[in-house]
Formats: sequence, C-alpha cells, structure tokens
Amino acid sequence: MTSDSILAVERLSAGYGRVAVLRDVSVDLAAGEMVALIGANGAGKTTLLRSLAGLLKPSGGRVWLEGADVTGMAPERLVRQGMALVPEGRMLFGPMTVTENLLLGAHSRPRRDESVRTDMDRVSALFPVLVERSSQPAATLSGGEQQMLAVGRALMSSPRVLLLDEPSLGLAPKVIADIFRVLKSLRSEGLSILLVEQDARLALRHADRGYVMRTGEIALAGTGAQLLENDDVRHIYLGARHDSRG
Amino acid sequence: MKRSMGVAAWMALVAVIGAVPLLTDDRYLLKVLVFVGINVIIVSGLALLFGYAGQISLGHAAFVGIGAYASAYVTSGLGLPWLVGVLAGTTLAAIGGLLLAMPSLRLRGHYLAMATLGFNEIMYVIFREARAVTGGNDGLSGIPFPEVLGVRMDTPASIYLLVWGTALVVVFLVANIVRGRPGRAMRGLHGSEIGALACGVDVARLKIRTFAVSAGLAGLAGTLYAHAVGFVAPSTFSLEQSVVLLAIVVVGGTGSLAGPVIASIALTLLPYADALIPGLGKDVIAFLQDWEADIYGIAMIVVVVLAPKGIGGLIRAARSRSRAEETG
Ligand SMILES: Nc1ncnc2c1ncn2[C@@H]1O[C@H](COP(=O)(O)OP(=O)(O)O)[C@@H](O)[C@H]1O
Ligand SMILES: [Mg+2]
Repeated sequence: MTSDSILAVERLSAGYGRVAVLRDVSVDLAAGEMVALIGANGAGKTTLLRSLAGLLKPSGGRVWLEGADVTGMAPERLVRQGMALVPEGRMLFGPMTVTENLLLGAHSRPRRDESVRTDMDRVSALFPVLVERSSQPAATLSGGEQQMLAVGRALMSSPRVLLLDEPSLGLAPKVIADIFRVLKSLRSEGLSILLVEQDARLALRHADRGYVMRTGEIALAGTGAQLLENDDVRHIYLGARHDSRG
Repeated sequence: MKRSMGVAAWMALVAVIGAVPLLTDDRYLLKVLVFVGINVIIVSGLALLFGYAGQISLGHAAFVGIGAYASAYVTSGLGLPWLVGVLAGTTLAAIGGLLLAMPSLRLRGHYLAMATLGFNEIMYVIFREARAVTGGNDGLSGIPFPEVLGVRMDTPASIYLLVWGTALVVVFLVANIVRGRPGRAMRGLHGSEIGALACGVDVARLKIRTFAVSAGLAGLAGTLYAHAVGFVAPSTFSLEQSVVLLAIVVVGGTGSLAGPVIASIALTLLPYADALIPGLGKDVIAFLQDWEADIYGIAMIVVVVLAPKGIGGLIRAARSRSRAEETG
C-alpha cells in the first residue's frame, strides 16, 4: 500500500462457503481518484466490492481504509468509517418513498445531525429529478432514476470512498452520461470512487486508472489510456477485431 | 410522510375505550372485548415483526403460551404476586424471541416460516408434556385474578379496563417505533436486506430486537389472558392459532399498524357477533363459530386478490384521495 492511498487492498481472498472466488487481489485507490475495475461476467468484481463493504468476510488478506485496518469489519461500522456501496441491482427500498430511501441512507449518522439536511440538499442538486419524485415509492421510478437514487442514497452516509457496482447496467446512453457526469463532479470534490463496470470502454474512458480482473485475480493494471491501448483488453473486453496485431 | 395520529384522536380512543364499561355491564360482551384487547396486543407485536420488518413468525401463539404458563406458574404455583408473574411471562417470551431470532439471521422466507413453525410445535409438545409446570392436557386452573397494590381486579369491567389500558399503551408504543428511525430501518430491511446493510443498518441487531419485542408483547398478552380467564390449556397456543394471528396481520396489511389493529378487532369479534348484536340467532353464531377458520381463510384470499395491501392499504388510499380533494 502507498501512504497516500485512501483504500488499500492487500492480497485479499474471499469466497462463498468453501468456494474460493478471489485470490490474492491487491488494489488501491488514492484520495480523489476514480478507478475502474473491469472484467468478464463472473470474474469476481461484485465479490470484491461485497468484501470491501463488509457484506462478505474475507478469508485472507488485509483491507486498509485511510490507514486503518478494516479487514472483516461489519458493514454498519464500515459505513460509519466512510465506505459506501451502491450495490449491484441497486437494492432500493421499493415500497418506500424516494425521501425515505435517502433518509435511510443516512441511518449510520447521529440522530440529529444537521449535516444530513445539507447532504439531502446536495443530493437534490446533483439529481434534481429526485426532488420531483420525492414522495413517490422508489419502485415506481424509471431505471435511470432508480440508479440515481441508489447513488444518492449512498452519498447520504457522507462517504469518502464510494464503491459502485455496474451503475450503467440496462440504462440508456443519455442517462449513463448523466450519471458519469455526476460521478466526475463528485471526484472533483475529493470523493474516491471504485467503479465496477461491464462496459469497459465507458469505464476506462472516465477513470484515472483501471484494473482488469480475470477469474478472481487481477490480470492487468494501468491508466485508463494504457488499458484502452492494451491488445488483450481490446480483444477481450472492447470487442476489437481487425484493427490490432492479428 | 406524516401518518401519525393526532393527540385528539388518541384522546377520543381513550374516551371510547373508557366509556364502554360505563355503558354496559353485560359480562359476556366485556369478556369478548377482553379477548379482542388481548389479540390487539399480540397483533401489534406481530405487525411490527412481519408487517414492518418482514420477518415471518408462525410461532407467535407459542410466545403467548410461554407468557400465560409462566405467569400462571409463578402466581398460582409459586405464590408470587401477579405483577411478578406478568414480568416473568413477558421476559421469558422475549428471551424465547431472542432465541427464535437466531435462525432469522441465516434463514429467510419459507425457511424462516418452517423454523418458526417448528418452534411452535416444539413448544406445544412442551406445554402438553411438562405436566409438573403446565398441567399437561388438563391445563392449569385456579389462576388468581390480577392484583396490584392490594386492589383485586375480579370484575369483568376491571379486567376489561386492565387489558384495554395495556393494549392502548402497547399500540401507542408500537406506533412510535414504526414512525421513527427503527421503523424506517425495519421497512428498509423488508424492502432489501442488502440495501439495508449497505445503508449501515445493523441488520442482525435489528432482527434480534424486533423478534424480542414482538415475542415479549405476545408473552404480555399471554399473561393477561391467563389471569383474565383463570385457566390455560395447550390448545389455545397451537400452530393453528399462530396461523390465525398471521392471517390477521395479512388482512390488516403489511407496513401498517392501524390495519392489523382493525383486523384483529373485526376478526376476533366475528365468532362472538352475538355479544354485539343481541338479537342474533343461535344458528347464525353456531355457523360463524363452526366456520371461523374458513371465514378467516376466505378473508385472506379476498385481501390477497382484491386489496393486496390489506386494510392498511385501503386506509392509505382513502387518505391520499381526501388529501387530493382538499388540495383541489
Ligand atoms: N452468492 C454466491 N454463492 C456462491 N457463488 C457465488 C455467489 N455469488 C457469486 N458467486 C460466484 O462467484 C464468482 C464471481 O461472481 P461475481 O463476483 O458476481 O462476478 P462479477 O461481479 O465479476 O460478474 C462466480 O463464479 C459466481 O458464480
Ligand atoms: Mg457483478
């Protein structure tokens, strides 16, 4: 781990029961950096994010958050330490209103924290459509609005590290562009973002750096530009065919 | 979203409940209303657990039984004061709830239903077989009337007031839980457990606490039952009763407290309709009592098909309609 990394993952192993999925995964994230994690379906990207958010206990390795060892810490403590997850499939509270979803996002914070209101305003400014929908059940929102709500809900815990699992999945290009615009503005405000994406091109174009995951291991690492140029990446994840070596 | 009942509404409720024994001294009616009040307490707790937190329990009749037998044993067996019996019964049931919460940490849906069903069956066997404490199939009789500070509550009116006073306090407390942060976390857990975890809800603690509170309320209701009736036997706490309790919550509507409370009043009164309508023929009552379980079953099907959100959903819809009319 480097001294300036806000999140450092050191040789992490994790799995489900006796099925090992992650093997010796090392990843780090500097403050204010957006890092993409790409890889084929089943590579273990979600498993990594779940382990980082405390939803899954790692079987080996270490996780450091702002210099503190948080390996195996319970999710509710990790949220309080500044780690927030936008889970795969959003996992919103469907029957609850948009406002209630956001308030529950602030559940980890003290009862009468005045800054909760400030963060509510901030999320409203980032996603104005959520204001229009504030008293609507989350389940009645469009896919894009739901994803915005999922991001907004995670921001309500006032995180310093944001873990996002496939935010673009199933969304129209315009909505994806909106969401990435917000992510970049959050980064410029100092938030550190670890972004899991199936859409490698999209992720690498926006990210400062990227990791390529293959069957539970980190296969490649580099800047977004380097990975976009990499032949393997082009072949396997970007669908390039005739325009390289072959 | 504010859905709280105003002070005026609570006062009106207190007045109505308090007025009943002044308006009638019909022993049968008061007795029936005691059963209704007891069910209101149980159903409030089950609405919290199932309707809000989304954790199913097919074992709630067993918690009522734990409360009833514990209080009966502590008072008539050990000769301790009534209040000690109530505390013992409630606490023991809450501890039972803590234990039953353990499977809920690992199991959900049908599997949790099976685990809690098994719990009810095990407790039922214990109620029948632990004769030294429970009196076996013959049950326990001669359970003393409630007595606080030397005042014996041995009239139907005094027991009615005790039960309904308790029910009112319970409903008020549960209403406050569901309106506040814990209620929001419970509904979140119901909506998505992973979502709740991601928001920093301590899901394990929430489940354990909700199970304990819900079971404790069932136990409290059980203690009231034992001392109101003076007699307890196993059949009152069978799996069938747990199913009926859950049916009441479903008919009342998940995510609602008023709905299940209304449903518990209506469905508990149904087989005793003659207490309210004196002219009702014996054959009608016999019919209602014979077909009680079927009527509950039909009520459940009707709700699931026509109004899946139950009585609570109908109340919400009516309220938003009237609000829409007000605002034009
Ligand atoms: N709950 C689970 N139980 C058992 N195996 C799982 C579970 N979730 C995922 N896996 C397995 O772990 C591997 C990695 O899955 P995942 O982390 O979801 O990949 P990705 O997010 O990269 O598509 C896959 O082989 C998948 O089948
Ligand atoms: Mg995934």
